[in-house]
Amino acid sequence: MSQPVDRERYRASMARLYGIFKEMSETVSEVSRRRCPYKNVQDRCTAAFGCRNQRGEGPPVSLPLCVGSDDLDYRSAWMMDGPSP
Amino acid sequence: MPVVHAGLERELSYVTRPVEHNHIRAQWDDADPLMQDISYNLIVGNHHDVDRLTTQALGDGFSANTILDDGLIAGMSIVGVKFRDNVIFVPEVLVAARAMKAGMAHIEPILSASGIEPLATVVMGTVKGDLHDIGKNLCIMMLRGAGFTVEDLGVDTAPDEFMDAVMEHDAQLLGMSALLTTTMPNMGRTIEAFEEAGLREIVKIMVGGAPVSQEFADDMGADGYGEDAIDCVDLARRLLGLEDYAPSREPVGATD
Repeated sequence: MSQPVDRERYRASMARLYGIFKEMSETVSEVSRRRCPYKNVQDRCTAAFGCRNQRGEGPPVSLPLCVGSDDLDYRSAWMMDGPSP
Repeated sequence: MPVVHAGLERELSYVTRPVEHNHIRAQWDDADPLMQDISYNLIVGNHHDVDRLTTQALGDGFSANTILDDGLIAGMSIVGVKFRDNVIFVPEVLVAARAMKAGMAHIEPILSASGIEPLATVVMGTVKGDLHDIGKNLCIMMLRGAGFTVEDLGVDTAPDEFMDAVMEHDAQLLGMSALLTTTMPNMGRTIEAFEEAGLREIVKIMVGGAPVSQEFADDMGADGYGEDAIDCVDLARRLLGLEDYAPSREPVGATD
């Protein structure tokens, strides 16, 4: 049987977790000015919708490569419908 | 016990600021190898392994506090550093958040049994016709981190699906996201559907998304508008009268 939860310790833990997430959210705002948020660390697109910057096989075989320039506004390449054919 | 997990040792190499590195490493000095394993799998986003290892840890007698601190949050602190330093990006953060949720799913019943309940239940979704979900997912991560239970309806969510979920989960809050100007009106249509069904008074409704503004939110009859994920949490607290609950901001890697 699990030990009872220490409430104060839990409260401190959640405050710490929230602090980590809050810093992440601030980083998102900064990073998203220069990099599409759907582009992962391997420069693959994780979006469930089509984008003119996607190249190659789409999900679920493998994620398409993002060929977008981070100098451009990536939002203009996003499409309104589902994955690219 | 020093860090014995090879993968975790590699992850620590990404923490290049000496003070921060020593601080985070110290978290695991006294932690069991099982906690290190949970941390590592959270960092790399193996949610199935986090699920399995958390179950194992509870079975082995580790407390919910210990698993939360030494396993889940310790791992998330590395994710925060890697994201800040551009080692990983938003998709990897969200994968780690999914792994965190897998572990928390086992912790939450124990919290509940100890009388610690979530602040409230929030239903979240991207509106009908819209497949963009990054902003919504970041809001969900923040809300969960702030102590809310979140039911994620995903993308392309019809008004009926929002209403069913609010009823099913007895949610006090509904959050809708839209990225496109063409789908943004579906927020208003969803609110109208709640009104027509006589459900508008049972739930507070907040909206957000790149083209959404406070003026638009007011016009469609939403209870509030959030500009970003941090704003979303503040708004949720405000709408539910929880302003007094304000977790203190602490630097990444700080201990409790």
